[in-house]
Amino acid sequence: MLDKAPLGVSTIRLTVNGEAVTVSADPFASLANTLRDELGLTGTKIGCDAGDCGACTIRVDGEQACACLVSTGQAEGADIETVEGPGPDGLTEKLRKAFLAHGAAQCGICTPGMLMAATDHLARNPATSRAEIEDALGGVLCRCTGYLKIVDAILDVAGGSVLETPRAEGGNAVGARIARVDGWPKVAGTDLFGADDAPADALWMRVVRSPHARATFTLGDLDAVVAATPGLETILTHKDVPGENSFGIFPHTRDQPVFAEGHARFRGEAIVALVGTKEAVYGLSDTDLPIAWTVEPPVTGVGEARIDGAHVVHSGKPDNVLASGRVKCGDVEGARPTAAVIAEGRFETGFVEHAYIEPEAGFAVPVGDRMEITCCTQAPYMDIDETARVLGVEKSQVRIRPSACGGGFGGKLDVSVQPLLAVAARVMGKPVRIVYTRTESMSSSPKRHPAQVWARSSADGEGRLVSFELDGDFNTGAYASWGPTVAGRVPVHGMGPYKVPNVLTEARAIYTNETPAGAFRGFGIPQAAIAHETLLDDLAEKLKMDRWQIRRINALGNGDTTPSGQTLHASAGLPECLDALKPDWEAALQRVAEFNARSDGRKRRGVGIGCMWYGCGNTSVANPSTMRITLKQDGTLTFFNGAVDIGQGSTTVLLQMAADGLGLAPDQFDMVIGDTDLTFDAGKTSASRQTYVSGNASRLAGEDLRAKILKLANAGEDARLSLDGGTLTIADGQASRTIDLATLEADGEGIVLDGIGTWDPPATALDENGQGSPYGTYGFAAQTAEVEVDMRLGTVKVIDIVAAHDVGRAINPTLTEGQIHGGIAQGLGLALMEEYLPGRTENLHDYLIPTVGDIPPIKTYLIEDAEPTGPYGAKGVGEPALIATPPAILGAIRHATGVTVRQVPVLPHRLWESLNGESGS
Amino acid sequence: MKPARFEYVAAKTVAEAIDARSSFDDTVILAGGQSLIPMLNYRVAQPDAVIDINRVPGLDTISVDNGAVRVGALVRHRQLELSAEAFAAHPLLREALDNVAHIPIRNRGTICGSIAHADAAAEMPAVLVCLDGFVTAQGSGGERNVPASDLFLFHMTTTLDSDEIITSATFPALPKGSGYAFEELTRRHGDYAVAGICAVITPGPDGNCASASLSACGIAEKPVRLSAVEAALVGTNLSDDAVSAAAALVDDMVTNEDDGAGGRYRRQVARTLITRAVAKACQRAAQGRA
Repeated sequence: MLDKAPLGVSTIRLTVNGEAVTVSADPFASLANTLRDELGLTGTKIGCDAGDCGACTIRVDGEQACACLVSTGQAEGADIETVEGPGPDGLTEKLRKAFLAHGAAQCGICTPGMLMAATDHLARNPATSRAEIEDALGGVLCRCTGYLKIVDAILDVAGGSVLETPRAEGGNAVGARIARVDGWPKVAGTDLFGADDAPADALWMRVVRSPHARATFTLGDLDAVVAATPGLETILTHKDVPGENSFGIFPHTRDQPVFAEGHARFRGEAIVALVGTKEAVYGLSDTDLPIAWTVEPPVTGVGEARIDGAHVVHSGKPDNVLASGRVKCGDVEGARPTAAVIAEGRFETGFVEHAYIEPEAGFAVPVGDRMEITCCTQAPYMDIDETARVLGVEKSQVRIRPSACGGGFGGKLDVSVQPLLAVAARVMGKPVRIVYTRTESMSSSPKRHPAQVWARSSADGEGRLVSFELDGDFNTGAYASWGPTVAGRVPVHGMGPYKVPNVLTEARAIYTNETPAGAFRGFGIPQAAIAHETLLDDLAEKLKMDRWQIRRINALGNGDTTPSGQTLHASAGLPECLDALKPDWEAALQRVAEFNARSDGRKRRGVGIGCMWYGCGNTSVANPSTMRITLKQDGTLTFFNGAVDIGQGSTTVLLQMAADGLGLAPDQFDMVIGDTDLTFDAGKTSASRQTYVSGNASRLAGEDLRAKILKLANAGEDARLSLDGGTLTIADGQASRTIDLATLEADGEGIVLDGIGTWDPPATALDENGQGSPYGTYGFAAQTAEVEVDMRLGTVKVIDIVAAHDVGRAINPTLTEGQIHGGIAQGLGLALMEEYLPGRTENLHDYLIPTVGDIPPIKTYLIEDAEPTGPYGAKGVGEPALIATPPAILGAIRHATGVTVRQVPVLPHRLWESLNGESGS
Repeated sequence: MKPARFEYVAAKTVAEAIDARSSFDDTVILAGGQSLIPMLNYRVAQPDAVIDINRVPGLDTISVDNGAVRVGALVRHRQLELSAEAFAAHPLLREALDNVAHIPIRNRGTICGSIAHADAAAEMPAVLVCLDGFVTAQGSGGERNVPASDLFLFHMTTTLDSDEIITSATFPALPKGSGYAFEELTRRHGDYAVAGICAVITPGPDGNCASASLSACGIAEKPVRLSAVEAALVGTNLSDDAVSAAAALVDDMVTNEDDGAGGRYRRQVARTLITRAVAKACQRAAQGRA
């Protein structure tokens, strides 16, 4: 294919957002690429290049289309509308405001596509309905919001009403439903994600990855390929890595090479990388390279990994066990025989893909001896550690500037492009950029661990839990990633949020030759929750008890002690969550019974319930956060916030807490987010920790600055602050004092006062029996799900969900609800449709995530059982909603059909096989 | 993501396109591009030349003649779906089109392109088969009509010659007094079908089945006519038992097995969809008579 003539470039005329433009482009270049690369309109996002995700939705001659599926030549003379335009009659502008007010944009990567699909729909169908909107948005995937707030926003615009967002004053910001403070660029299409920006002279990089799960390889004459390929600058191999050719999360598990050294351990592993012009690196096929493979039989699944004589994936772990954890309390063997009822089962889950709509992307720029990397990430300070090691330099030599992050969910906690870019930019001495393809993102990024779980539970005659045992093997794939964390969290949480006097839970992370599994919303606990909730339903059935009732009498509450020996002195609000949704539960039971009584048997409905708990913050280790607020002579108030907002809303809620700590309104702050040269380490955006941990740091930074101001003014604690330009006014009762900030002594940057807050959650190490206080606090939730099952086809439609969450304090209820909706959507996907199969479902049409039409109405109850150690009583909410969702859905399927499913996803053919007594689950 | 390199030819007439098809070894026609472009991007297809027919005049018309609907090669799914005239004449088409992907894809993708692409799980090829429709193709040897029964070879392959271009597809009229239905099962709305059934049932004056046309997508290597099921239905009173017994005859035709649906399950799906489609078609036929 190299000998073919180069592609021609044509002059193509378009009208874009009302302006006539002429572009010189390859006529077959996609319109998405032409808009982005030639016209700089990066609001049109590329998520898949296959028409599966809809992020690139634009209007072509007044009709919505995927810009990745329209060639530029086809669009000659067409009228193109993108997110950057106002839309017909300003419709897109109206939708932007409604999206902001409703919290309909989280990470913002799908927002341009959503806005354009909505613009198109309302332009032709102003008097619309929820069902019609769902039809119109069906081609655009969102992984964050659960879609409900998007539809609400569109209905508002259709109805002519605009939801007003409140402006918060200093002192009442916490609890206010203010619009996301970083939201406008997301709805305007101007937010810069990893692929949206790079120096004009940046070279392109493309990674060549292993097509085999296990193989050895030798590289031929790569120099000859470089010499024969115009525009190709170099082909990087492991020999080009200046420092350590390895990365990983923990000091003892840095087992993944930047480039494999003669041996690939999974399909998708990086082998070499092409660096040069875009045409050169994409013009070569992988098969054009002299890589000689010797394919070897891979270790697939934990079963194969644990048999005697299994191939050892890493020589240091002869049994392929990467890590294990356990919790032991009481006397399971002694207690179980005293129980009235015992339930036992085996459970199985598969790989789950994060499916953030933004594939990994970024660029690196060598600046003197330093390396500056701009990319999407959840953990900029960990990125520094990893990149510095790979480069063989001090950490101070690396700067990470997080781009907007188009979804993460745990998948962007590990480095991806960072070390690759650093090596390339170091070798070339020039800026280098990279954008993963969807397939590359899916085949190389860590997944949710597939789990094989056995569990046994027992209860007394009144339904009180007597004992719980769990033994789980979690497939961590070819490299460690966050496997040790999963092996550690599962035993702690594996019995569920219940009072259980006798517990033995053990979990192992097992190496295989499959895609590495790492962090994904819940760290293994969603898999375990399926086991503990199903067994609880079993016990209730045997005792002829109501499923809500058995949860209520066992629920951990204030003053109870966990199986790890940690006494929950406060903010254990599961009983309140259960009480809140009890009327909904009873109404659903009645509704379902009436439906089934009328049904001819083809369709049956059921309702299920699931509870969860989740420790906020990293397990048993220090994970501090530091925040800073500065005040300059000219009155510039700046919040330096090192926490990366991956869509969940930390930028907004941390500011709300900082603002209340200080006593000035959130909209008076400028913000610097994430840049490691400018902010302190706020730790990772993971483990539902930013609101809880960085929230405290933000509050403390605000309080620190406030204390300095009050001291300066000799004012009391209740004084009210106001800031107008360089004039700071402190009103204390009748007295009022004005400070002209220009008269205060300033540092070299003009800063006259600053406040710093650092906080680390209280946690202690776990002993060999998992005893200790691994987390400062826990989130709790109870959820119900109602489903309709087509008994002939085995299909399941979730028709209603009620979610009660103990969040301590909802700092911004709109964003809190957004986390719950989004978690539920991912939980629904895990339960019913998502199954990543390496080599087979590496795209978004074979790997299915929920669309707008798959999400039922969701009713939320925010239980605010204040956490004393949390900022303003708050704790984390990012992960809980996902965890409670699958067990509730499985319980509902069982209620509808009488069949207990123990394998997810509950694909239609699996359920049908179970309904018909075939092997299945 | 970039496709492998190829020539891009923007044809202005059908003759130019045919000429271009003959000038290269391996060519593809770009109409809507909604299946082709991803295949090129992902290098599933690596042709020598892509021939864009979007500039060819006269290919974007829908003509309705005595209940039959003919669509030109550039008629988009959405154009046909929203055509009031076509809906009035042939409501089955809209019912089937509603199952094709999502609106942005239907806005661009063409019916003839879908037929030429010949995905075994696609809806419109199955509709063409059910109705005994045909395509009109032009090539260096001239113009000819190819009946649906002779068109589809296997998944993503037709019997057309390499220099031929489909210029239109014709969906014959629904029989007088008939009822119709298109039923399919997808994992999510808009996805390709696990199985889909197109049914046209004409009851006689006595209420028994006078004629039946059924086809399926997703169950075999190409869209298939369910002749055995049709034969078993004709003459029966279309009771639930009769339809179920006839539907069971689909089993032998289900050859597609994939990760999501093994053969036994797909047979169950096909049987269930047949019973539902026939029931709906009968209901519509009854309404039409009333």
